[in-house]
Amino acid sequence: MAGDDEKVKKTPQTGAAGPRKLDRRDVLKGLSTVPALGLFGYAWHRQRQYQQARIEEAAAAPVAAGDVQEINVALLGAGAQGQVLTDAMLRIPGLRFRAVCDVWTEYNQKRVVNSLKKFKHEVNAYEDYREMLDKEKELDAVVIATPDFWHSQHTVDCLKAGKHVYCEKEMSNTLEGARAMVTAARDTGKRLQIGHQRRSNPRYLHSYEKLLGEAKLLGRIVTINGQWNRALTPDLGAPDRYAIPEARLKQYGFRDMHQFRNWRWFKGLGGGPIVDLGSHQIDIYSWFLGVNPSAVTARGGNLYHDPATHEWYDTVMTVYDYDTPVGPAMAYYQTQTTNGSQGYFENFMGDQGTLLISESDAHAAKVYRDPNAPAWDTWVQRGYITAPKVQEVKEKAEGVTDVRESVSPDEHKVPIVLRDPVHQPHLQNFFDAVRGKATLNCPSEEAYATAVAVLKVNEAIEAKTRLSFKPEDFTI
Amino acid sequence: MEDGKLSRWQMIAITVLRVAVGWHFLYEGIAKLSSPSWTAAGYLKQARGPFADLFKWLASQPNLLANADLITMWGLSLVGVLLILGLFTRLACLGGIGFIVLFYLANPPFVGYFYSIPTEGSYLIVNKNLVELCALVVILVTGSGRFAGLDVILHGLFGRRTPSR
Repeated sequence: MAGDDEKVKKTPQTGAAGPRKLDRRDVLKGLSTVPALGLFGYAWHRQRQYQQARIEEAAAAPVAAGDVQEINVALLGAGAQGQVLTDAMLRIPGLRFRAVCDVWTEYNQKRVVNSLKKFKHEVNAYEDYREMLDKEKELDAVVIATPDFWHSQHTVDCLKAGKHVYCEKEMSNTLEGARAMVTAARDTGKRLQIGHQRRSNPRYLHSYEKLLGEAKLLGRIVTINGQWNRALTPDLGAPDRYAIPEARLKQYGFRDMHQFRNWRWFKGLGGGPIVDLGSHQIDIYSWFLGVNPSAVTARGGNLYHDPATHEWYDTVMTVYDYDTPVGPAMAYYQTQTTNGSQGYFENFMGDQGTLLISESDAHAAKVYRDPNAPAWDTWVQRGYITAPKVQEVKEKAEGVTDVRESVSPDEHKVPIVLRDPVHQPHLQNFFDAVRGKATLNCPSEEAYATAVAVLKVNEAIEAKTRLSFKPEDFTI
Repeated sequence: MEDGKLSRWQMIAITVLRVAVGWHFLYEGIAKLSSPSWTAAGYLKQARGPFADLFKWLASQPNLLANADLITMWGLSLVGVLLILGLFTRLACLGGIGFIVLFYLANPPFVGYFYSIPTEGSYLIVNKNLVELCALVVILVTGSGRFAGLDVILHGLFGRRTPSR
């Protein structure tokens, strides 16, 4: 770089003449780009202001400030799902965060507290939820996103402390736990919403109310298939400096940090992918069919992972039987955690049409009209579905078209798009219900029926046989 | 330009380039710092090319990853500030080049590699990372900080006193 130095010094602008000293020119040149940093600071400040204004605008828009009764909220469980729910709640008007509780005080608790601070929610942080319930007397509602095996105790204690509760699914890892939650909600008269958030998703509500209910586009639903294929993900870790001391881990029911971070894979703590993922979609099967299943057959196993580190089945394939008022139906569901191809969706097939629906925008929702079905023009005109995509008649390049092949059905899109985070409408519905302005879209009784159906899959895998349900299994 | 010397306007242009690159670095850093849950894990897991295994391994080591996240967030911000101010400009250039080399190698647009992200633009060998790297090389070798920047003052105060030419 010596050559460069020379060049620089040679240029007259450097003013390097005689013994070096700083003259006014040098100082001015030295400071000449400082204003750019000031400009950056200004631009950054404006950007922050803009973002903040958007947040406040979104928060204030749906209702005038005076109309909304402010609800004091606490978050219990500040992990990844707790963060997702918090992000969605920050977009809902009339909420005031008061407290955050998480046993991982070294990391998760801090992260959520800091992110709430950015939105001007000054919250108290707790490790022990009982201390939070003791001290935070003004709380109206608690949003629970702790591991499944804590749901029942957390929910029951919060309800008994007089709080309304939004609890993530699966409502409990045991049916006894789930029953205690339903009973506590009934006894206390408080609202208990379970986080099967598709129940409040406008796309699903439109399909249920308009397409299946009013227009009956599918005719009689005979089969369903659905899946959640998730790509292989490495186990979750944690930096050593954020590790939870062993005594505290044990106190809260975890063997070690690995188990704490990956509890979903462990028996007694979670229910594995069929419960984590399948529960969302099997819930929709019963909702759309209007009945609970009558029997379940399932196969599953640790086809990929080592059962020593991943106790629950990484792969599950299951078939439910339903006796609907209009006749029998069968539903297949698979989840696997090695390859995420085609993601997740539910596909309902009736004698007049098919509904392919997903929470993911990759599939969104489409309906296919069977050529034998009555025309759907009325529903297109009403905007329930889009005009059909014209199916091109392709001449097959090779071979002769098999005359036994069915004619391709017309494809219509379901024109409902959710721009908000997927959990937001469900949380909104919960808070509306707390204010007495709505009924819960997924009250605990509904979620209990889903828990009965889903937890039975793991039982059926172990039993290696078809297990029947009695109608009274689903009620408390 | 005469005799290999850069004219005043050429130096001004390079200084503008330096401030622009610095601005970009600073905002990349600040934006990450202000997002409470930002981590390089996603980027590292998407790594392809000859060094993919190394980057993926880094993403799988929580301790290393946490450090890599901190170094990235603060490092980008610091390089950005230094470039804008023209302070320790060469050191900042080298730091910036170091970061970009890593970003480039994690997702190199070599022949035969196809990416789902980034979705914008089309690249073969040269991508925006490499262009920014080249810009830093220009800034490095032209000593832009000593033309306009705090390095002028530093150099004046502490620089070797050389006889006038």
